[in-house]
Amino acid sequence: MNDILTNIFTITFAAQIFRLFTPYYLGASAANFSERGGIINIAIEGFMISSAFSYALFAIVTGNSLLALFMAILINIIFSFFFSLFTVKLKLNHIVTGVGFNLLMAGLSKFLIIFIFNSSSNTPRFEDLPNAPFLKEIPHIGEVVSDYIIIFTIALLFISNYILFKTKFGLRLRSSGENPEAGDSLGIMVRKYKVYGVLISGFLSGLAGAWLAGNQNSYSDGMIAGRGYIALAAMIIGKWKPTNIFFACLMFAFFEALEISIQISGTDIPSQLVQIVPYAITIIVLVAFVAKTKPPAADGIPY
Amino acid sequence: MMSVKNKKNILSISLSVFATLFITTLLLLIIGKNPIEIFGLIFQDVFASGYGIGQTLLKATPLIICGCGLAICFHASLFNIGAEGQLNAGSFAMAIIALKMSGLPIYIVLPVSIIFGFIVSGLVGLIPAIIKIKKGVSEVITTIMLNFIVLGIVNYLLLDFFAVKSTMRTEKLADNLLIPKLSEYFELFQGSSLNFTFFIAIILAVAVYILIYKTKFGYKLRAVGFNDTASKYIGIKNNKIILLAFFLGAGITSLVGLNFIMGYKGYFELGFSNNLGFTAIAVTLLAKNNPIGIIFSALLFGILDYGGLTVNQQVPKEIMFVVQALIILSIISIDKIVDNYYKPKK
Repeated sequence: MNDILTNIFTITFAAQIFRLFTPYYLGASAANFSERGGIINIAIEGFMISSAFSYALFAIVTGNSLLALFMAILINIIFSFFFSLFTVKLKLNHIVTGVGFNLLMAGLSKFLIIFIFNSSSNTPRFEDLPNAPFLKEIPHIGEVVSDYIIIFTIALLFISNYILFKTKFGLRLRSSGENPEAGDSLGIMVRKYKVYGVLISGFLSGLAGAWLAGNQNSYSDGMIAGRGYIALAAMIIGKWKPTNIFFACLMFAFFEALEISIQISGTDIPSQLVQIVPYAITIIVLVAFVAKTKPPAADGIPY
Repeated sequence: MMSVKNKKNILSISLSVFATLFITTLLLLIIGKNPIEIFGLIFQDVFASGYGIGQTLLKATPLIICGCGLAICFHASLFNIGAEGQLNAGSFAMAIIALKMSGLPIYIVLPVSIIFGFIVSGLVGLIPAIIKIKKGVSEVITTIMLNFIVLGIVNYLLLDFFAVKSTMRTEKLADNLLIPKLSEYFELFQGSSLNFTFFIAIILAVAVYILIYKTKFGYKLRAVGFNDTASKYIGIKNNKIILLAFFLGAGITSLVGLNFIMGYKGYFELGFSNNLGFTAIAVTLLAKNNPIGIIFSALLFGILDYGGLTVNQQVPKEIMFVVQALIILSIISIDKIVDNYYKPKK
């Protein structure tokens, strides 16, 4: 137990938190951009699966990690365009569409990993995304500060706040999620903005999945492991505000880092119980600390 | 004379089955397989023998049961994504109680373990309902989180307390506690594990149909699902309906344990559900939440499931996950397109 406590107060542990934080905040921001435009996107999990798998596929086939990242994001944007066709154009129920997309992505990756790589569990190993030179040499935190996507994710706090609250685009996006009729009567192309929100969520969740696969140098079945859903929970706990979501994601990352060090330290706490910590924390936080949640007024209502 | 609504339903369901077949054919062509050969194999293996039919019905049984539970929630517009966790909790409880009571006659063990499993699943279902009512948190998130939590706890309890050493399953129930297999009475199903739970599932579907469409409770349930503001004004206590729908819906999912534990293997095994709780969502949506329709869509999924196994040599059986997802996406989109087409033009 002492090992765990001394572990927490190290720089390595802090660096670990930011690594775990990255996919959560990317995923939660992805969901937030979509929901600010009024489209509930529970397919974040599926989008992360799809981009992790496509990154792996193209990294192995081309050997070029940047090209793989580009393809993973492109494929995700295409999928999210289809998602917006279902939710915006056809005005279908967002949750049902999300469930369908999640099943499709999970199914496709399960099928393709066996068909292409002849393995039901994981792909061959491949290259990670390039890191910033020099910075990588810094002890303890080098891996984190030299990672472009981690840096981008931290910057995303400011970028999201700026885009959502300081630009015309953000105002129009939010009005599409709060009161589409009013936006429409002012001449805003509400549906177009809803589509933009979904496309941004495809882009951001694409980064999250590709980063996860790159980081582990391999894609394995089930590797996303509910991170997309935790990201959604972080968005709700953060009440759809980028800054609050940032801290909600840090909290989840902290508990996951703790979970990992507990498992490494080999205590006799059963691992199955340690593994449910992030999910249990979600429920506890929602029940104990969050006052009644209030999504964007027209969130989930087809328009 | 067929009503417009029925005409629309039949049109959109057949169109979406056709669309799914079409996309699957394309997919098979892309990966260089002969679709006719694959479909032929599936058809032959599923329908040509009593064994194939039996195995298909065996696969359809838990889907019917779980789908009926989900239909109750969906009719109240409660998106219960947590069936996977709920059914595991209840089935596990069912198996443990039945094991503890071994030695007692079946007419005591069966009802007690069914009721116990039902209550455990139902209680798991009440958690998202209460959080929704008290905190306004969408049940979608909480049910998903609870899936992970419940599966973790079941996993822990099973492996640390109840599992047979170096396996992931409980001990086997005594033979006299098992639900009889159809093959004991009909030569046709020889070798298949199809058991009488199939008939229980059919009866359940009819009962849930009556509950939803012919009773006062069903009316209230649908009113809440249709418009929860209006339902409040006609004096329906929405919160009570939400709690009841979740308890009943989740509770019913525990009955899948009858098929696997009492009717098929005789023990609870980790991962026995194999994402049943999610597949059942697709089954229920395809049937448009109608319990009688669920029987048929579960049969279709049973064919896919067993058919996938039979062609595994040619194509990885995981392709059926893709097909199932395509079915959901085509039914919801085509349904809407057909709907728009029939709408009176302005």
